[in-house]
Amino acid sequence: MGEPFDFHYLLDYLVKLVPTLQMTLLIVACSIVIGLGIGLVVALPQLYKIPVLRRLSQVYLSFFRGTPILIQLFLFYYGLPEILKLVYVDVSKVPALYFVILTYALHSGAYLSEMIRAAVGAVDRGQVEAAYAVGMTGFQAFTRIVLPQATAISLPVFSNLVIANLKDTSLAFSLGIMELTGKSQTLAVMSRHFVETYISLAIIYFVISYGLEKLFHLVERKLLRHERQIVSDEKPSRYRKWKQRRFALSPGFGRGGQENEA
Amino acid sequence: MIKLTQIRKSFGRNEVLKGIDLTVEKGEVVAILGPSGSGKTTLLRCINYLEKPNEGRIVIDDFSVQCRRPDKKAIHTLRQKTAMVFQQYNLFKHKTALENVMEGLFVVKKISKDEARIRSIELLEKVGLGNKLDSYPSELSGGQQQRVGIARALALNPEVILFDEPTSALDPELVGEVLAVIRKIAKEGITMIIVTHEMGFAQDVASHVVFMDEGVIVEQGKPNELFTSPKEERTKQFLKRITPEAAYSI
Ligand SMILES: Nc1ncnc2c1ncn2[C@@H]1O[C@H](COP(=O)(O)OP(=O)(O)OP(=O)(O)O)[C@@H](O)[C@H]1O
Ligand SMILES: [Mg+2]
Repeated sequence: MGEPFDFHYLLDYLVKLVPTLQMTLLIVACSIVIGLGIGLVVALPQLYKIPVLRRLSQVYLSFFRGTPILIQLFLFYYGLPEILKLVYVDVSKVPALYFVILTYALHSGAYLSEMIRAAVGAVDRGQVEAAYAVGMTGFQAFTRIVLPQATAISLPVFSNLVIANLKDTSLAFSLGIMELTGKSQTLAVMSRHFVETYISLAIIYFVISYGLEKLFHLVERKLLRHERQIVSDEKPSRYRKWKQRRFALSPGFGRGGQENEA
Repeated sequence: MIKLTQIRKSFGRNEVLKGIDLTVEKGEVVAILGPSGSGKTTLLRCINYLEKPNEGRIVIDDFSVQCRRPDKKAIHTLRQKTAMVFQQYNLFKHKTALENVMEGLFVVKKISKDEARIRSIELLEKVGLGNKLDSYPSELSGGQQQRVGIARALALNPEVILFDEPTSALDPELVGEVLAVIRKIAKEGITMIIVTHEMGFAQDVASHVVFMDEGVIVEQGKPNELFTSPKEERTKQFLKRITPEAAYSI
């Protein structure tokens, strides 16, 4: 086993680990942004029931949701160059980071596409018809009516996916990426203070996850401000404001707030 | 003037509209009656192309659409010349009453935001919601939501407003306020086609009544003629079943 517990190492490692957070967040941000693009492209054939593409997107979804991400990482890192060699593309000089981002983007893309599909489906068809009846084009109806509501609806799921992605990036060290977990491995092995390293690591992941969750929750409340209910016909606003302030103050209050108000 | 000629619509094998001919003069209020499943909603939806008719012709003044293969631009024009008030209101839930009315004005008609706002406020005042401009649909009662729906339809200055059972999703005590608004705008000479089960309302607001059954127009005429002395057997039976008293208790 390692060295005896020493509190100083804990602080020391926190300081040493924080800079590598940049790498972790870079992977998360890139893969989520690319994943959103992929998710939308994959969701469209499902939403519009386009025959062949729909089958293809289903195959993609089952693969990325049905296999562990670690396997996906290895498959892309070791397998993709082999396949590309067949068409005379040499990717041996491409840094591992690109493969990591690609894998996480495709992985998140699968879940994000499910999220998009569900959220768009949740905006009732009647509003789209009303938009057409008002004279909007399909594009206007989608961007002005469906998208804002779908975004608000999907935010809790999106928040979960981003946090899951953050935690999944800890596997990127297996391809030698020096993100949070990768760095902590080296620190731990060098000093043999395993417990301190992993405690600092856990603290950092927790703080970031918690921060993200709170942030998304705030955005969600803002986007869902139209989902208020009539409390009584006369001047409900005072009472509601007071209630909302109370919800905002109590930290443990999750997403149930909206429903509870009814 | 609106003129429908030989409108046909099938869903798969089920022929829902079997050649509808209907002419509506400018300023007329037409009530469409008929049993459930007779194709009333489908007819209205065909008029603004929410449903694609298989055949027929829609003429609004000097604008005409051949339904069999219309171009996209014709559909767009048709939708701008018509407006629809839905049974389920279908307000944009993430927008306030005011924004709901303004939306079409500045997105579709490209009117400046300020002007659109002024015009929308006027319309909301007309339907009695001058004090609810900033309320979201979830904060409004059914009757209030439907009145926003009517204001939204009026905003586009359409040649015709199509109403699909505008009061049938409402609690009985809220029906009156919506009917009063429709009565009021009927008096202003706006052309309207209303599908309704409110016989009393049809009788005193409509200038023309159409009775539909199984995808055809069985009989049409002035309200007092059709209600008091219907000629067709199917019309008589339908009217016997839905007396004005019964209609109000739905
Ligand atoms: N989208 C659709 N797909 C398949 N069948 C449909 C569709 N819409 C309507 N129909 C069928 O068309 C027929 C006419 O329906 P429609 O809604 O026009 O009747 P309606 O006269 O408005 O009835 P109600 O008084 O109940 O509203 C019904 O038999 C219905 O099942
Ligand atoms: Mg109907």
